[in-house]
Amino acid sequence: MAEHPAWSWSDHERARLDVLLRHCIQCGLCLPACATWVATGDETMSPRGRLLLVGELLADPTASISEPSVRTALDTCIGCQACSAVCPSGVPFALLETAVEAARASTPPPDVPRPVPLPVLLRLEDRTWLRALAWSSARGRDLLRLAFGPHWRRRVQGRRLWGICARLAGSVPRAPRSDRELVACLDGLAKGPSTPVGRLERPARPRESVVWFAGCANEGLLPDSSRRLRELLVWAGAGLVEPAGNTCCGALAAHAGQPRRAAALQNANLAAWGTGGDAAAIVTEASGCGVAVRGYGDRLPLPQIDAMVWLAGAERPAFGRVPLKVALHDPCHARHAQGIVREPRALLRAIPGLILLEPDEPDVCCGSGGLWSLSHGDLSATLGARKARLLAATGADLVVTANAGCLGQIADGLAVLPGEAPPVLPLGDLLWYAALRAVRS
Amino acid sequence: MAEAGEDLLAALRGLLGPAGLLTGRAALSVYARDASHLAWGRPLAVALPSREADVARIVALCAAAGVPVVARGAGTGLSGGAVPPPGALVLGTARLTDLGPVDADAGAVRAQPGVLNAALTRHAAPFGLHFAPDPSSQAASTIGGNIAENAGGPHCLRLGVTSHHLRALDWCDAHGRDWTTGEPVAVARGIDLRGLLCGSEGTLGVVTAAWLQLTPEPGAVETLLAEFPSLEEATSSVATLLRAGLLPVAVEIIDRPMALTVEEAFGFGLPTDVEAVMIVELAGAADAVTTQAAATAGVLRRAGARAVRKAGDAEERLALWQCRKRAFGAVGRLSPNYVSMDVVVPLGQLSGLVREIQQVRERFDVKIATAFHAGDGNLHPAVHYDERREGDAERAHAAADAIIRAALRRGGSVTGEHGVGLEKLHALPWQLDAATAGLLRAVKDTFDPRGLLNPGKALPSAPVREGAEGYAPLPAAPTGPVFTWDSLTVCAPASTPLAGIQEQALAHGLWLPLGLPGQAAGWGLDAGLTAGRAVDRLLTGPSWLARATARDLLLEVWATTGDGRPFHAGAPVFKNVAGYDLVRLLCGADGRLARLQALTMQLRPAPAAAWGWRLERMAEAPDSASPAAAVAVGALLKALTSGGDGLAGHQAIMERGQEDGWLSVVLLAAGPDSGTSAVELRQRLEAPARAAGLRFVVAERRPFARATELAPALGVPAWALSADSWTALQPRPGRGAGALPPVPRRLIWQDAPRVVWTPESSAPLSPSSGPRGAAAWLADRIVADGVEQPLPQPDGGVPCHLLRSLKRCFDPDLVLGGPVWLTEDADG
Ligand SMILES: Cc1cc2nc3c(=O)[nH]c(=O)nc-3n(C[C@H](O)[C@H](O)[C@H](O)COP(=O)(O)OP(=O)(O)OC[C@H]3O[C@@H](n4cnc5c(N)ncnc54)[C@H](O)[C@@H]3O)c2cc1C
Ligand code: SF4
Ligand code: SF4
Repeated sequence: MAEHPAWSWSDHERARLDVLLRHCIQCGLCLPACATWVATGDETMSPRGRLLLVGELLADPTASISEPSVRTALDTCIGCQACSAVCPSGVPFALLETAVEAARASTPPPDVPRPVPLPVLLRLEDRTWLRALAWSSARGRDLLRLAFGPHWRRRVQGRRLWGICARLAGSVPRAPRSDRELVACLDGLAKGPSTPVGRLERPARPRESVVWFAGCANEGLLPDSSRRLRELLVWAGAGLVEPAGNTCCGALAAHAGQPRRAAALQNANLAAWGTGGDAAAIVTEASGCGVAVRGYGDRLPLPQIDAMVWLAGAERPAFGRVPLKVALHDPCHARHAQGIVREPRALLRAIPGLILLEPDEPDVCCGSGGLWSLSHGDLSATLGARKARLLAATGADLVVTANAGCLGQIADGLAVLPGEAPPVLPLGDLLWYAALRAVRS
Repeated sequence: MAEAGEDLLAALRGLLGPAGLLTGRAALSVYARDASHLAWGRPLAVALPSREADVARIVALCAAAGVPVVARGAGTGLSGGAVPPPGALVLGTARLTDLGPVDADAGAVRAQPGVLNAALTRHAAPFGLHFAPDPSSQAASTIGGNIAENAGGPHCLRLGVTSHHLRALDWCDAHGRDWTTGEPVAVARGIDLRGLLCGSEGTLGVVTAAWLQLTPEPGAVETLLAEFPSLEEATSSVATLLRAGLLPVAVEIIDRPMALTVEEAFGFGLPTDVEAVMIVELAGAADAVTTQAAATAGVLRRAGARAVRKAGDAEERLALWQCRKRAFGAVGRLSPNYVSMDVVVPLGQLSGLVREIQQVRERFDVKIATAFHAGDGNLHPAVHYDERREGDAERAHAAADAIIRAALRRGGSVTGEHGVGLEKLHALPWQLDAATAGLLRAVKDTFDPRGLLNPGKALPSAPVREGAEGYAPLPAAPTGPVFTWDSLTVCAPASTPLAGIQEQALAHGLWLPLGLPGQAAGWGLDAGLTAGRAVDRLLTGPSWLARATARDLLLEVWATTGDGRPFHAGAPVFKNVAGYDLVRLLCGADGRLARLQALTMQLRPAPAAAWGWRLERMAEAPDSASPAAAVAVGALLKALTSGGDGLAGHQAIMERGQEDGWLSVVLLAAGPDSGTSAVELRQRLEAPARAAGLRFVVAERRPFARATELAPALGVPAWALSADSWTALQPRPGRGAGALPPVPRRLIWQDAPRVVWTPESSAPLSPSSGPRGAAAWLADRIVADGVEQPLPQPDGGVPCHLLRSLKRCFDPDLVLGGPVWLTEDADG
């Protein structure tokens, strides 16, 4: 029998897992929140199912983990935390995560594909490399369009190699680069006269100084949206401080099983922030980074706060009118891991003329899950299409979301929907546009 | 056997594809469990069909191989219903999630069994409708599971449990043959397969689709939160509330241990320094709700509430309900294990039971936290224990059993909504008499002779023989009517005239919503109608302001089988899922299964007021297009019901001139009394009246108990009160009055249950009158020219052979008669 070192939990760890596990009353209320159950209807792919399997692992580690079906069930978990957000019994997600990580660390069974090699994963924290990825995925889409025609997404479905290429090219997030392009797009949707393009007004003096923590993926893949978000924060009264030495939050490294690297990145960030100076908070751009930074715990010199939450609480000028029906998608890292639900809605409701629409299944993950989508391509595509269908079913003119990963996933899903589908944009871009309309109107 | 299993798996894989059959160890472990914490054995495999038609094929393959099948929804059942015996096939419905279009007119929708309860309500929301049964597990539990367990929920107090909202089922039997329970009609006469399958825990058949009744969203909702220093005072205030004529949609209580748990879990801000927190929800027309809320608050304060406050806005109300619905789950934070109970008692016994639970807590030294569906008399004590502590589990189970026995002594039932499953098998004989248990077993054997559908569940496992040890004695039947006012029930011999019961009830502000007495002969509640006949026939004549049939009110029966075996089914409680629903089976069966001896029915708070309007269209525009008149009446009635304000019992009495376009309509409605209600109702009627060229001639209002005085005041025509022979027609769902092809010149349209009464000859309305004739819209002719029609032979898809076998379970020598199709085998 093969060795599975990951399963030799220490007594201490076992006891901890055991206590957590005993919290689960097996009520099953978490099932409909779990994307992998929703997509498969298979209870081994549900939070309760996974917890039951963890229980079996505790009782009989080697026998259970040598079973591909057990390993697949655990490996398929997206880590979206929707389950712990709805669990009435307060089963901490940490339990599942520990078990799932252990399953991943064990020898992967032959039927679990891993198309993304580790070195590639770690390049994703490199912003130059990411820009190159954005550029090449755009060219990749051009090529696929050339080869398969305008309906290339549908035509490559079911083809293995092309399918992977198409997903790589298709789900890399993108948004209008120039302000002009963005404004033209939204003006077109709003069917109004065109809005003059310009910079947002800056208040004479910032009201609050905060540390700005950009996300690697945002800066790398959506540099202009990232810039517009910064402009928006400044417009709303933030004084952004960017300490030299700000680096990747380390989530990616931790995810890829590189705890030492993750710790080094954390230390580098903490060193850069020092004591925090006169800043009031660390404002994070990407919800994933937000969770990771919050995870620094006691070592943080300042409280972490998501950009949208900061904006919602800021004493900002009024937004201009945007007569659009907008459906909002909550990223799991915001909704479940940070409990951010009210704030983005409050921001959108503050825009005159805007009608906010809520899609069905708001707590179900879109199937992006960062790198998960690359290792679980088919399931991810199913989920993306489902999410896109539900968002489109609201009848919205526009879909917005605050996360780069969700953005790409939803765009990919909307693209394969039959019939007309609304475009999807970063939430920050829409808010920026609303702010721009205030200035000019 | 192993080889047979292999063959079966290969056949199933061929049918479902590799993704549709799970045989991995993970699946066998996970699907061996449900929310009940009970374990039995590992299943053979898990089938997850994606096509409805595959369900029957799977069952047929298993039947051929002799392998048991356990249907499974989401596995949220609390009694172990979905826990498979070793080697069984689990048939999961999670991929059968299609929802048909909402038929807004009929308020109906077709759903596959894997549809989640909450998803159904979201689907209906754009039409202003919802699915009324709302178990606390509604986010996760499936329609199939809700039907199989006859699930209830907080809002079932006024709206009823799942079986009240079930119109028809498509299902597959133990041999893998597909059937339906028939046309989804309002007054389903005949042997009620639908009622029998509902609550049968997957032991009689597998549901493959359901036609569900949707309920209009109320116009306004108000939620009160009351704090009671004494739990006993809280529980006894429930009956006081109902007897004061207030019928909230929900009355829930959580006791202090439960409130502490919930507060720790969700921090909602519930008071934890009182013994009981009560949630009362009122729904209906805005002004009526406001008045009722004030009255409710008054009643609760007088009953001992320290404080009563309103949930501010919709958001707070939602949070409050979420908090209540998740209360049960929160128990897991405090105790690693617990026995979750589901006893139900007559309302008047609630406080007594609470006292006994307190004694049990002390005697057994256990922790118990309780959530109550108080309005139904249903309570969920959770007895905490830790399985790893020596003797803890035994003590908890002994305490739970003591509570069950206490509930049974008070006329209750072991389970109100969670089902018997595996968990309550041991206690069932404490409740059932041997004869009834024998009948239940015979029913099971009729449907599933080889015992392959969910074996070992729902029925007592002990051998059932006459006078068998361990079963409860047959309770004594009443010899005269017995009203239990604080439980809102009336128990009476079957021969008791209903009119007498009704008069006494009305004097106490309660009634049986079967119509008002005091009309001429031939009317529903005339002097000749006995309680037993109302159950056997369901409808006998038009009834003044009726809004239900006996099926909606019957709780308990004493009866004898055709061969003279006395039995007793049900209990005098508002919710009961212990054993198959024999009570419903007997409703509308025309006395062909058993002779009713006595019965218990539920009394409801009587409406405060009745309204009537007389509208007329003059002859100036000659209009011979008779369907137009019927369309107008249909539109008026729809306008009356559209407010979602809990008004019901609508009736329209229509008469039109021969050829001259003259038309008169008398509309009747009853409901909560308030000035604006009347104005609002009138406003709602304006537009459809104008469209039909009708103008208001008279409008009248009376206190409900004197509603029949409306007849002379409105000039109700003599024929409507004293026709000597009626024809009663039941339209197919979704067919309004406009669909009646040759519309009778005189008719009474009754809205709930939807039936058309006419004093005219039924001849032109014969089903054979062509493709556009009656067959297209007529679901059932209950009475024709004054003659009560025999039970109609069901449509093609209904398994008549099973109905015949059921008849023989109850009446082996066929002494109770019945139509030929029921008594004689088709093939000889
Ligand atoms: C936290 C919590 C709260 C709850 N609150 C309530 C409540 O308020 N009211 C209430 O009534 N119940 C409640 N329940 C119990 C449970 O949710 C209900 O019994 C529910 O109806 C079960 O649905 P399910 O889909 O999970 O069915 P399962 O648990 O999967 O199955 C239940 C039974 O139904 C049978 N079955 C399932 N599908 C079919 C089918 N298609 N055809 C035939 N048989 C089938 C199964 O064989 C089994 O016997 C609660 C449970 C939990 C965990
Ligand atoms: S909701 Fe929580 S307690 Fe219930 S099954 Fe899921 S993890 Fe367990
Ligand atoms: S983390 Fe997400 S995918 Fe994993 S079990 Fe929970 S809900 Fe399902």
